[in-house]
Order: sequence, then C-alpha cells, then structure tokens
Amino acid sequence: MVKKYRNFKEIGDAVVIYSDNYINDIEGEKLEDLCASYLDRGFTRIVIDFSETDLVNSIGVSILIGIIEKVRDSKGRISFSGLKRVNHDIFSIVGLTKHIQIFDTEEDAVNARARQGMVTT
Amino acid sequence: MLQTDLSLEKLLFNLNTLAELGEEITSPKDFTRVVKSALYMVMGSFSATKGVIFQFDSDRGVFAPIASKGLGDVGAAHVKLSKETASALTKHNKPIDLKKGEHPVETLGEAAGVLEKLEARMIACLVVKDELLGFIAINGKFSGEDFSVYDCQLLSVMAQHISFSLHSHMLLMRLMHKYNENKGLYENLRRIYYDTIHAFAASIDAKDSYTRGHSHRVSAYSAVLSREMGWSHEEVEGIRIAGLLHDIGKIAVDKTIINKASPLTSYECRELNSHPVVGYEILSKIKFPWKGIPMMTRNHHEKVDGSGYPDRLKKTDIPIGARIMALVDAFDAMTTDRPYRPRLSFREAMDEVKANFGKQFDPDVVQPFLTVIRKEVRREVDNPTIVPLLQEQLDSVSLNRMLEGFPVA
Ligand SMILES: [Fe+2]
Repeated sequence: MVKKYRNFKEIGDAVVIYSDNYINDIEGEKLEDLCASYLDRGFTRIVIDFSETDLVNSIGVSILIGIIEKVRDSKGRISFSGLKRVNHDIFSIVGLTKHIQIFDTEEDAVNARARQGMVTT
Repeated sequence: MLQTDLSLEKLLFNLNTLAELGEEITSPKDFTRVVKSALYMVMGSFSATKGVIFQFDSDRGVFAPIASKGLGDVGAAHVKLSKETASALTKHNKPIDLKKGEHPVETLGEAAGVLEKLEARMIACLVVKDELLGFIAINGKFSGEDFSVYDCQLLSVMAQHISFSLHSHMLLMRLMHKYNENKGLYENLRRIYYDTIHAFAASIDAKDSYTRGHSHRVSAYSAVLSREMGWSHEEVEGIRIAGLLHDIGKIAVDKTIINKASPLTSYECRELNSHPVVGYEILSKIKFPWKGIPMMTRNHHEKVDGSGYPDRLKKTDIPIGARIMALVDAFDAMTTDRPYRPRLSFREAMDEVKANFGKQFDPDVVQPFLTVIRKEVRREVDNPTIVPLLQEQLDSVSLNRMLEGFPVA
C-alpha cells in the first residue's frame, strides 16, 4: 500500500521523506522529528529524497547526522536519494557518503531491499 | 572526485561555515538560538553527533550547558574547574584532544569524568581577554577519522567567533542586571515612601470619625482632575501625595474640636483653622521628590475672591494645585456626613459649587472637574474615580439637568 502526502510517502515498512529547499538552520530539526516519529511507529527504512534541496550547510549536516544516529540506534536503515552534485560534494566532505547508501532516485532506494548493510567504501 | 578537488571543496565549505557563523553571532536573533545554531555549525563541520556548549555561571561558580545536541537532557551536567585548571586552559587556548591526554588534560580533575559521560573527544575553550567564558565539547567524528591540524585550526577559529558572541551577551546581561537592580531599588524606595505616606494619611483621618478616607479621596480626586487639566505624570504624583497629606496639620488640633457637632467657639475655630499652616510647617521640613507639596497644603483653604485662609490670596496668587485641592476638598466634605450635618446630595453639592463659582472656587478648575464627572457618568473612562465613591447613582440625563446653568468660564 502506498500513501503519498506532500512531504512524505509511505511504502510498506519504508517511508520516503522529501526534504525542503534548504536545510540551513535549526528549523531543519523538524526533519529529525519527523524521522523519529516514523521510527516510533515501526517504520524500519527511511529514504530521504533531496531532489528538491538546493542547499545544505553545516547546520543541515549536523541535523542529518543526528537523523542517521537515530536510525542506527533503532536498528533501522537509512538511505539518501536524488542528491544534486553540490549536496553530494558536501556529504562527501564531511564523510557522510561513506556511511550511508546513496541512490540516484527514490525508487532505487525503496527497491534496494536486497542490498542489506552499508556501503563502506 | 579527486582528492585535491575535495580539499578545495572542503576549504570552501568551511569558509562558508565561518562566514555564516560570523553572520549568525552578529544577528539580532535571541541568544539561545544563536548559540544553538553555532553549536550545530561546529558539529556539522566535524560531523560530530554529540556536542555541548558550556558557559560559566558566576552565580554558581560552575560551567553550565547552554546548548547541546545528541545527548538528551544535559541540564544537570555541570563542570567545576579549579582556578588553576581554568588558567591552564586559558593559557593553552587551543582545542584539546582529550583522547591524546596531553597537557592540560591532566589538570581537569573531576571535570574529566563529566566530559567522559558526555562522550566528549575535543574541547575548545571560549576565551576573551584571558577570561575563560566557557567551552565547546564535541565527540569524535562520525567518520571515525582523527582531528587533523587543519581541523584544530578550524575549530579554534570557530571557538573564537563564539567567544565574542558569549562575551557581548555576557556584557549585555551584566548591564541588564545592574539596570534591574537599580530599578528594583528605586521601586522599593518608592513603595516604602508611599506606604509611609498612606499610613500617615490614615492616622490623620483616624482623628476624625466622620472623615474616614477623606485624605484618600482628596488625593485621588486631585490626581484625576489634574490629569484632566493636562498635568505631567510627575506633577500628578506630586498632587496625589499632597492630597494625602493636606490635612496633616490636624494632628496638632484637639480631637474634640475636630469632632464637635455644635458650632465652634472663636478659639476652637482659630485652632482648627491653624491646620494648613501647621501642615505647611511640618511638610516644608521634608525634602519631597515632587514640587509644591507644602504650599498646596498651606493654601488648600484659600478662596479665589481672597476671603479664604491663612493668606487671603486671590485667584492666580493661589498655587493651582491648592485651587484644585480646595475644590475637591470642599466637594468631598459636602458629599460625606459631617458631625454637624448629614451629607448633601450630588445635586445640592453642585448647587453649592455653582453658587460659589468664581468666589470660593476657580472656574478654571470647576470646568475640568465637571468634564471628569461627565466622562465618568458616560463611562468614557476605563477607571472612574469620583463617581463610584459618591453614595448615589448618577445617569447622564439627570446629570445634564443638574449641571445646567453653570456659567461658562
Ligand atoms: Fe483642610
């Protein structure tokens, strides 16, 4: 069953969250709260889709790292999709790309059931 | 992506973060938010998952958390540093890798335990002018990498930025504290002042069983009337105090004279009529923060035609405050019971005022007084003062009838 809302889409045990245009101030923490509430509700796979996101700064990075920690703590899985080049570069600078799966599209991310675990290279 | 590209990208990202941090700490946003944003910037730059900013709390002599992330509630995590430790940290003034255990880590003592609980790996001191204002503590990088020399430099620059923010906020708080302290002190004095005067007024009224509350009413009526006449806030406060004290001279008059129902002998009359001068003698020895209180007291029984006492002054020679008090004093005396007669109705009192318009009472005071009464009866004011204290109901139709025939000033 697929439920689609403006900012997120629920597909079985997975949820795709579409992040905002900018993740550059502490307001971005609502993304973290949203993920936390999905984890609480038993969702085990979280995909954050960045196709609409033009800017992630250091505050955004700290928020995303917070989300990754939360997902790990609750033994869930998290992946990113739809990264623009500039965002990919930033995630790579701060070392995020080594720790989570990154897909071109949200469909790839949702369908990547077979690939368990994390990409470590 | 090539490694060299990444370095340039990293440099740009970090420069951008520094620029944003600079912008953030000089923004007019509230301090809590600024500190939180600053912490997130630091954590984002080093991909840290746990971090705290501590600030020195001089009241408690400890460093207390003012922002944190990834650690849940850290409100109780206080860090106590000895003077020696604080000065060692200030002198070192470089980010410290707790894992390496190099100097001055060994000076931390008990604080090391608190920091360990917070999983702190790096601490950066927040120092301005050799004063340790606080410090940032973050855990290791998410990527597991060590902190490079370059990372330490970046952390140091970010810490300097945040130090200045903390410093200016601290100065502002100190200023506010001083201001509030002074304000509190002043208000306290003012309250003591008012309390004392109210107690005094009550003791004056207590001498006269009929005039309970007279001084308070004269005070309140004078204040509302002078405000209607455009007096400043300070001037209104002055006449409010004068109203409370205007009969203070009665403390020297025998109680039996004050409460006498039958006509007074000429001696008794002289005694009673001495109260404005006695009051003046008392009050002129007190240094009031408001002007004119002794003279308003002295002249509150003068009449504009020059037939009053004690100085037989005419209209403009009588201080305006005394002319205001003369009217409201007589008005209150008429509308309350006296030893020698029951109270007059409002209509009867107004007829008296009308009959003595320009003789006993100043037309320039009577007119605004009528305005106040009209406004209160029509409920055009939020806090009516005079009408609720009258012992009868007034409506605007009968009021208009009662006030007919008042000469225009
Ligand atoms: Fe009097």
